[in-house]
Amino acid sequence: MSDKDLKKTENTAVTERIRNVKTFVPRVDIYETKDALFLIADMPGIDEKTVDVELEKNLLTISGRVENGKVQDYNLVFSEYEVGDYERSFTLSDEIDRDKIKATVKQGVLRLELPKAEKVKPKKIAISAA
Amino acid sequence: MNVKNLLPDVVRRIRTDNDHPFYSLQREMNSLFDNFFRGFDVAPRGFAGAGMGGFSPSIDVKENDKEFIIKAELPGVEEKDIDVTVTNDAVTIKGEKKEEKEDKDKNYYYMERSYGSFCRVIPLEAEIDSGKAEARFKNGILDIKIPKNQSAKAKGTKVSIKTS
Repeated sequence: MSDKDLKKTENTAVTERIRNVKTFVPRVDIYETKDALFLIADMPGIDEKTVDVELEKNLLTISGRVENGKVQDYNLVFSEYEVGDYERSFTLSDEIDRDKIKATVKQGVLRLELPKAEKVKPKKIAISAA
Repeated sequence: MNVKNLLPDVVRRIRTDNDHPFYSLQREMNSLFDNFFRGFDVAPRGFAGAGMGGFSPSIDVKENDKEFIIKAELPGVEEKDIDVTVTNDAVTIKGEKKEEKEDKDKNYYYMERSYGSFCRVIPLEAEIDSGKAEARFKNGILDIKIPKNQSAKAKGTKVSIKTS
């Protein structure tokens, strides 16, 4: 893993920024279980009030604002991370049940549960002897 | 007859250790890295502590006349898994970011987050009052405040210059 991988990636594609802060792409894990897809995003500095999850047609957007992250009137001795907002979008397929999406935030980590629609869940077909 | 021909094995071994192009390249690379990082007090990530591929927090260090502020990004780490130790001239942040193990049989599509134990040592040049250090953890950000030792600051005595 190079040092570049450890740094936050700036999201340059974000347009219409009102706030004068940088926007970063949060790192995510996405995995699938039998019943649902889970999306876990590292967004240090956010809480349940400053994170937004929006779904517009097929586009799921997660965004977070980091308030008061900057420390004023101090000299910087060593710096590895920049304070900024987060934004990232994902395209959902039709197999997600949009009404049942759940989101939780804990210790700066956003966790989305995207349940699969009933119609796409694997079904076992009973075979009867004819 | 050349002595080398009598001892082919020994000669070859010596050559592998010293003159093989790969090893000399490696040596060169090592010294390049050593020189490059010499300017920084804090050991770079990935080269110390957690090692390659593991989780290692990003750290900011700020100071003013009275205190140091250290901020570390630790998203998803539990408070009880963080260990902050302050000595007279350094701060050590240790801990572990645990992977959730509740779901079995999961297929990953994206895996960008990293897990594992981490350890970062931050040397501080000024003397610090280790007994008065405070640490808070909120929303995945660790905030450590350490006051500077006021008596250490007073060590510098101004000398008046007399005109004779």
